Amino acid sequence: MRDEFYKTLASPIWWGALVIAAIMPFVLSSYYVHILTLALVYVALASSWNIVGGMAGQISLAHSLFIGIGSMFSAALLLKLGINMWLGLVISAVISGILGAVIAWIDFRFQLGHLSFVLITLAFAEMGSIVVEGWDFLGGASGLLLPKDTGNFLAFQFGGGHGAFWMMLGLAAICVLVNVAILNSPLGYYLRTIRDNEKAAQAIGVNVLRYKITAMVISAMLASVVGTAYVRYLTFADPYLLISPVITIEIVLFATVGGLGRAYGPALGALLLVPLGEILRGKLGSTLPGLHYFIYGLVVISVILVTPRGLLPLFERLWARWRGPAVAGKP
Amino acid sequence: MTELYQALAQGLLIGATYGLLALGMGLVYGVSGVVNFSHGDFISLGMFMCLALYSAFAMDPYVSIIITVPLMTAIGALVYIFLIRPMVGHQFLMVVQLTLGLSLVLQNGILMVFGGEPARTPSFVESKLIILGDVVLRVPRIVAFVVSFALAIGLYIMLRSTDFGRSIRAVHQNAHAAALMGINVGRVQVLTFALGIGILALAAALLLPGTPIQPTQGLRYTVITLLVVVLGGMTNFVGIMLGGLIIGIAEAFGTIYLDGPIGLLLPYIIFVAIMLFLPKGLTWSSAR
Repeated sequence: MRDEFYKTLASPIWWGALVIAAIMPFVLSSYYVHILTLALVYVALASSWNIVGGMAGQISLAHSLFIGIGSMFSAALLLKLGINMWLGLVISAVISGILGAVIAWIDFRFQLGHLSFVLITLAFAEMGSIVVEGWDFLGGASGLLLPKDTGNFLAFQFGGGHGAFWMMLGLAAICVLVNVAILNSPLGYYLRTIRDNEKAAQAIGVNVLRYKITAMVISAMLASVVGTAYVRYLTFADPYLLISPVITIEIVLFATVGGLGRAYGPALGALLLVPLGEILRGKLGSTLPGLHYFIYGLVVISVILVTPRGLLPLFERLWARWRGPAVAGKP
Repeated sequence: MTELYQALAQGLLIGATYGLLALGMGLVYGVSGVVNFSHGDFISLGMFMCLALYSAFAMDPYVSIIITVPLMTAIGALVYIFLIRPMVGHQFLMVVQLTLGLSLVLQNGILMVFGGEPARTPSFVESKLIILGDVVLRVPRIVAFVVSFALAIGLYIMLRSTDFGRSIRAVHQNAHAAALMGINVGRVQVLTFALGIGILALAAALLLPGTPIQPTQGLRYTVITLLVVVLGGMTNFVGIMLGGLIIGIAEAFGTIYLDGPIGLLLPYIIFVAIMLFLPKGLTWSSAR
């Protein structure tokens, strides 16, 4: 079962893609590097969400909490208490993990259906954004401004554009690899069993609580770490961006467009939609604010109507047809 | 004591309108199993339509419902036919994601047309107050309360004793059997969805006077509506109105008695607590 993971690790295509991505900052202008960095942030976030939302089939809308803890809380620790951001990253990730475990436990203990889970996590997300906007320690409604990035690695600084890009590339690669690893491990099979039929999974002896908590904790901690890195890149901890339920909705939509529950699906969705949105915003943002979200919405609606499983399975089908009938039968 | 009466009165008044918002969603869920996550953005759409009519013709929100209600009902029917009906039979969660996408489209469509600044729509009753003893009540809220309850009762009578109401209840109880009895299930589903959105146009006009509006408010209305619907046990008529009153009162108590963020959190805390200990909502005592 794990063969697939090691094959991916040894795959020249993987490393080739990474190397090509890594030399992008030398080729592209800083504007496009910025767009790619943002795309990588969302690749990482959508991939980490995929562990819970795609593989275990639980549409969690609470991920803005984990991103918010990773960003706002670690920023507050640095600015208000002088705690090094590396330590802040670890503290935030641990808190996110604990919170994730609590949410997963509530879900299991009270036997929430799919819909109730969506609603309860959305209620948690709204509560989180109200708390942050009303609590001065976390910057309140005006947010927090981090010190300038001077490239001091020990202080969690990466030296602006290029450094931030490479760090995000590394994080995004880790998140995607974690997806590949989980999908090909027993955990991945248990999660998919739980997604497809929770009662049957329980009946054949799958420890549902344990695997739900494991998936949620991994997902929450990854999202929190990405949140810390994202806020360092942004320099400004904006509560309306980082802990608003809208960021979760965006992630969910990217993952849906790419292909839920697939290792590369969420990454594909984010890589297609984020640059599209950013370029639209750059070109028309001043005259038509909101246009990129409008287009995201339209893309999502059309993708769901045309190919409900997402773009990745569609591309695979087209690829198989193009390669000819010899391999068309391959799953 | 004055504060207590004031909080209770405010909560009851706003709660009735929350109940009305939620009735539309509950009806739709009962008939086609769809939970519309763009509900709040349709409320926004209704409010901004009123704003547009005011800016163009100086029309009072209470008058503009003559235009907004039929328009929104038609939009609701089209959305159901072209977007939601193709998804019936797919996974339930795909509809959730589709309506989340629709919510982005609506919210940002409004943003593109009207801009992001908070706006007000004046109405002739906007600043009128009624003072009962020590309790101060705003007239628009009283109007909203009365109309919401009248509409809820009207809907209840419609469901009880008209053919359309009976066919809605039949589809809700057993769509298959209803089809066998000669009810056009597809038509009932479209009409219910359209009715649900049409009610929102009315509720929007009721909420509008004295409330600043902005395009991003939709999600918060969606969340409030969902809280109420779930509290009410999804499809139970009386439960939903009761849920609306509870959330309204929780909100009023939270803002009057508690300082800062904790006050705003109160409705959510009550919601989570009720959900955890009464997972079927407030209808645990009813037979269904």
